[in-house]
Amino acid sequence: MSMPATDKTASQRLSVFGLCLLAVCLLLFSPLVDAEEKSARELPGVKVFNPAAELWRDVRQREAPVSGKTQVGGVETGVLINATGDRWRQFRMDELIPVGGYVIGAIIVLLLIFYMVRGRVPIEGGASDRKLPRYTTYERMVHWFIASVFLFLAITGLILLFGRPMLIPLFGKEGFSIIASACKEGHNLMGPLFLLALVMVFFQFVRRNIYQKGDLTWLLRGGGIIGKKHVPSNFFNMGEKTMFWLLVFVGSLIGISGLVLVFPVLGLGREFMALAHVGHAIGALLMIAVIIGHIYIGTVGMEGAIEGMKTGYCDLNWAKEHHDLWATKAIDQGEAMSNEAVASLNGEKTSTAPPGATIQGAGK
Amino acid sequence: MIGEFIDGPLWYFSLTAFVIGVVWRIVSIVRAGVRPDLSIARGSAGRGAMRAIFSRFVPERTVTTSSRLQLIAGYMFHVGLLILLFFAQPHIDFIAERITGLSWPAVPHWVFIVAAEFSFAGLILLWLHRVLNPVTRLLSDMDDHIGSILVFLVMLTGCLALAQSHEALRLIHLFLAEVFLIYFPFSKLMHAFTFVMSRGYTGATMGRKGVNA
Amino acid sequence: MARMKFYCDPERCIECNACVTACKNENEVPWGVNRRRVVTIKDGEPGERSLSVACMHCSDAPCATVCPVDCFYTTQDGVVLHDKDICIGCGYCFYACPFGAPQFPEDGAFATRGKMDKCTFCAGGPEADHSADEHRKYGSNRLAEGKLPLCAEMCSTKALLAGDANVISDVYRKRIINRGAAVLARGVSYRDASFRAPRSTGGKSSSQE
Repeated sequence: MSMPATDKTASQRLSVFGLCLLAVCLLLFSPLVDAEEKSARELPGVKVFNPAAELWRDVRQREAPVSGKTQVGGVETGVLINATGDRWRQFRMDELIPVGGYVIGAIIVLLLIFYMVRGRVPIEGGASDRKLPRYTTYERMVHWFIASVFLFLAITGLILLFGRPMLIPLFGKEGFSIIASACKEGHNLMGPLFLLALVMVFFQFVRRNIYQKGDLTWLLRGGGIIGKKHVPSNFFNMGEKTMFWLLVFVGSLIGISGLVLVFPVLGLGREFMALAHVGHAIGALLMIAVIIGHIYIGTVGMEGAIEGMKTGYCDLNWAKEHHDLWATKAIDQGEAMSNEAVASLNGEKTSTAPPGATIQGAGK
Repeated sequence: MIGEFIDGPLWYFSLTAFVIGVVWRIVSIVRAGVRPDLSIARGSAGRGAMRAIFSRFVPERTVTTSSRLQLIAGYMFHVGLLILLFFAQPHIDFIAERITGLSWPAVPHWVFIVAAEFSFAGLILLWLHRVLNPVTRLLSDMDDHIGSILVFLVMLTGCLALAQSHEALRLIHLFLAEVFLIYFPFSKLMHAFTFVMSRGYTGATMGRKGVNA
Repeated sequence: MARMKFYCDPERCIECNACVTACKNENEVPWGVNRRRVVTIKDGEPGERSLSVACMHCSDAPCATVCPVDCFYTTQDGVVLHDKDICIGCGYCFYACPFGAPQFPEDGAFATRGKMDKCTFCAGGPEADHSADEHRKYGSNRLAEGKLPLCAEMCSTKALLAGDANVISDVYRKRIINRGAAVLARGVSYRDASFRAPRSTGGKSSSQE
């Protein structure tokens, strides 16, 4: 999924001031030089000014944009030259869109290669006949809430970011405008829900995500990717914990900068808004890349990984292999249940076990 | 063409189906009748009914403790939806133009947006609870899921059309709203009307027996 | 075709805001939208100058580059216009524009930006010339009538120039040369004009006894 490079070349990139303004300035300069030369020849010592060009140059070359007074209300109406605008344009068009495209494309390609090399990580002991309760209903609700909101925001956001190079050729400008308008409104409306979900996720999972002693070993051994041995870890492993904290911090950054962008009526300056956009975009692309990996592990990458989030229970062997510190403790506390008991608790019809057996199992 | 169909005939058809369907459902429930209660009345049935209709808005104590999330999400969704549906400027304009011919004051745009946020959060959480909790999952049938998803889609397309600048987006929203209207009378969505009757019925029974509940 | 440009002469602009008013009236822009504004720098200090600013109709317009829905286009006259049917009101053009030209109608708190509005060089929009739609969305289309933007046309000091870039630069060049000539004649730069010593006022009075 490589991004078509934007049609901007390095030379064009240089020119905020390759704008009409300068076009006129240039038009003016050539005659001006003539005039100066002429007057210099005839009467040395007299300097002829081009007041407009000098004023613009003045306004532009100051450290901060020169702010004047104006009768017109609005955001930064007194500013003649928005000094950050071009830097921001350059970021968005020449850095964000191409690099972002490559990053997401690269993640997908890497995961494909990884899958081809490593394949699906199996439960080595095979599926056991017992399960451990892993997530409560509320925990799963919170997870799927943030997941659905995140996916919606990611898709609409990516459409808005890459739509011009990728979707306009497909749908045409009018068609894409409809999609983009829908995406923009949906993105703005769903954004605050992400913050709500983030708060819920934070309070629900924060205690289990504090880094612990074994986490460094996990990191040093590459989370078990390097070599065949599984690395001991608690309820969440080092990778999951890192993802949680990324979600908390980067997610808050995305959410708060998003709120800034959603409220143009606050009258914040363009520099701040552009900065919020930069933070929003970089954070969001980073999170999307991380979440693609997260989804990969949950769906195709690892056997039994999604079970806990789907049903609330995970396989005992899977738990022992991937979260053995937690699994040992849970088994000691007698939390393990037979598959039939779990099926019965989840309301699935089991043909093999008689109802009496499941009740017995559940009581264990 | 298809837009004109959605905007014209289909709208009137769905509205007719909705009105006739709802009236038919209510009449059939009323016509089913109430078993005559021959006992001596210890209290007023009417007052009992009225009390139950309103007092049931306040949840029972067990509900407030054991399923707090459902309670909060439920209120968020329903109150939000009520505001969205009847107090959003575009809806009032539409209703005034197509049905009643008279309008009423709308909430400001920001209230509308906040109501939408609450409503979405409530609906998504409630549906997830429905799917993830074994008990509610077993209790739910196709009708519940279709109803939830239809409401969600109507709301989602509505929020996608918030810019009010693209006819296509408005028509998608309108089309789903029409499907919703047609589906409404033949589903559990009827609870929007029948909750009054069920509460009233139990309230009246209780009231007549002199039970203060 | 000619390349249309605006140019404002800060030596002539008297900050009367007539261009702003003319623009609002001619194009019937909504509340909160000001396609043109007059900015005064060093207000009340020596060297105070005013400039009338609107869309500069850039040759390589940054707004057009960043627009996520690609709604901008440049006419044969070099006028940068946009299609409001395509615009989604994201505000990116406002961040990118050096001159603060893009404007957004706002409807109160929580309002997302409406569709962008900016100076059209009185050239309307993509709709048919002088159609009702064009007028509603973009205001007047004077260029199609062979007229130039009203702001410049009615500038009382002819500070604001609009039209063919070649002609404008010509006019402006002549002004500069003339000002240079004035310097030669008076021996004082026009820049210090306000501090120029009065010429032979000694013995003069408004009333002779």
